[in-house]
Amino acid sequence: MAVAAGAAAVVAVMLAVVRELPSAAGALLTHPGFLAWQTVGVSVVVQALPFLLLGTVLSGAINAFVPSHVLARSLPRRPALAVPVAGVAGAVLPGCECASVPVAGSLIRRGVTSAAALTFLLSAPAVNPVVLTATAMAFPGRPEMVFARFLASLATSMIMGWLWLRFGRAEWLRLPERAAGQHPARGRWAEFRLSFQHDLLHAGGFLVLGALAAATFNVTVPRSVLDTFADSTWTAVVFLALLAIVLSICSEADAFVAASLTGFSPTARLVFMVVGPMVDLKLIALQSGTFGRAFALRFSAATTVTALLCGVLTGWWLL
Amino acid sequence: MQALVLLLTGAALLHISLFTDLYLRYVKEDLRPLLIISAATLTLLGTVAAALDGFPFTKPQAMTVQTADTGHGNDQRQGHAHDHTRAPRVAWLLFAPALLLLLAAPPPLGAYTAARDSRDGGGADTAGPGEDTPPFGPLPDESPARLSLTEFHLRARQQEGRTLRSHPVRMTGLVTPSGDPRSWDLARIVIACCAADSRTVTVRMNGAPTPPADTWVTVTGTLRDNPAGGPRDNRPTLNVSSLRPTPAPPNPYMDSAPPAGSSTAG
Repeated sequence: MAVAAGAAAVVAVMLAVVRELPSAAGALLTHPGFLAWQTVGVSVVVQALPFLLLGTVLSGAINAFVPSHVLARSLPRRPALAVPVAGVAGAVLPGCECASVPVAGSLIRRGVTSAAALTFLLSAPAVNPVVLTATAMAFPGRPEMVFARFLASLATSMIMGWLWLRFGRAEWLRLPERAAGQHPARGRWAEFRLSFQHDLLHAGGFLVLGALAAATFNVTVPRSVLDTFADSTWTAVVFLALLAIVLSICSEADAFVAASLTGFSPTARLVFMVVGPMVDLKLIALQSGTFGRAFALRFSAATTVTALLCGVLTGWWLL
Repeated sequence: MQALVLLLTGAALLHISLFTDLYLRYVKEDLRPLLIISAATLTLLGTVAAALDGFPFTKPQAMTVQTADTGHGNDQRQGHAHDHTRAPRVAWLLFAPALLLLLAAPPPLGAYTAARDSRDGGGADTAGPGEDTPPFGPLPDESPARLSLTEFHLRARQQEGRTLRSHPVRMTGLVTPSGDPRSWDLARIVIACCAADSRTVTVRMNGAPTPPADTWVTVTGTLRDNPAGGPRDNRPTLNVSSLRPTPAPPNPYMDSAPPAGSSTAG
C-alpha cells in the first residue's frame, strides 16, 4: 500500500519535473491540450468536493443518528404517495448533484421506499432554491424559464419514481454491503464517522472518474461542433441533452451555460437544464459506485428519455 | 491508507484555497469559504482516522461487526463482510488530484482553450447572455476608456458600435492565435462555475505584430469600422495603436477593465 502511494507520488513529481524537460516526452506531457485536460479534470473535482462532503455528512448522519421511526413517519405510507412528497422534499437539499447520491443510498439502506429515495435523488439537484435562483439570474426577465425548469424537473423525478414502483425490481439495486442502522457494539459517533468516511472515499473516487471523462470530452470535442446542431428542432434538443450529460456541469451553473447557448431554442436549452442535474458522467459514475453499474446505466437511460420528454412538453406548453 | 488519502486531499485543498490563490485557476472566487471548510473537515476526519484506526496502516480491528441478517446474495466479499477498516479501492483515484494540486498544480486555461472556443469566428454566444442588455450610454469621458472585453463586444454589437466610434479604448486580455497569421486575438476566458464550463470572449486585433501566445497584454486602440474577414466572421476588430505586456491577473477568469492609472509605454 505504501509502495503504491509512493508510486503515485513519484508520478506526480515526474509531471512537475518533466515540464521543464525540452525532450519529446517533455513536449508531449507539456502539450497545452494535456495541461488543459488536467485543469478541467481538477476543477470538476475541486468544485464538487464541498458538496460531496455535505452529502456524505448527511448520509452518515442519517445512517447513525436518525431513529428509524422518524424516517418511517416522515413519508406517507403508500409508496405511490411517498413519491411526490419526496420530489418536493428535494428542495431542502441545496447544492449540486454530488450530494444527493450518497443521501439517497443512505435513505434506502435505512428502509425508505427506494422509489421515494430515487425521486429525491433526481429532484434535489434540480428544484432547490440555489439552482432556481441561479436560473433566474441567468435568464433575467424570463421567469418562465425558472418555472418551466422547476415543473419539468419535478415531473421527471416523480415519473421516474412511479416507474420504479411499477417496473423496478429490488435485485437491480446492488448496494454494497453495509451495516444498516445503528449498532449496539459501536457508539453513534463512531458509526457516523466510519460511514461518513467510507461514503466520502467511495464517492470521491468515482467523482475523479467522472471528472476525467468530462475533461476528456471537454478537450477533445471542439466547440464549433455545437453550431452544426443548432438549427433543426429535434436534433437540437437531443444534442443538448447529450451535451448536458457529457459536460457534467454542476446544477447551480448549468443555467449560465444554457443562457450562453444563444443559437438554440428555449426548449432545447430547457432540456439541457433538466437533463444535466439528473444524468451526467459524474452521476453515472457515482451511481455505479453506490447502486451498481447495471442499475446506473438503466436508470440513466430511462431518466434521459423521461427528462427529454418532460422538457419538450413543458417547453412546448410554456415557452 | 484512508487517513492518508483524507489528509492529502485536505492538505491539497488547504494549499490551493487558504495558503495560495491557486483555487482561482479552477473555480470561482466565492467558493473559497466552502473550500476552506471542506479542507478543514477532511483534515479533521483524516487526523481522527489516523489516531483511532492507525497510521499509515490501519490497525487490525479487534471487533468486526457482523450482521448476518442483511441478505447480501450478490456480495462477493463475505470474508470481511462489514469491516469498515478496508478502504474502497476506488478511493485510490483521489490520490491523483490531491498530489497533482500539491506538487504540480495545473495551469489556468489559456490560449489553447481560447483558440479552440472561438475558432468558428465567435458567433453570438461569445458575447454572453446579452440579448436583453439595455442600450449603453456614451463612453466615460476619459481617453482612452477602459473596458472589459465583454463590454466592448456588447457595445460593438449595439447599433453597429455607435458608442465606440472613433473613441480610443483600452482593454486587457490573453494573446490567442487566431488561425490567420496576419492577425491575432485578444481573449478572456470566463467561467460560470468551474473551469469545465468556460466560454471565451474574443476581439480581433489588427495592426500590431503578434505577441507571444498565452501572454497577457493591455492594448489601446479604436474599433475598426468594417469587420475584417469573410461574411462568416463578424467578430469586432480593434485597430491597435499601442500595446504593452501586463502581469497575469490573479483571477484569470474574471473579465474586467484594466485598472486606472495603467499607462501604455509608447
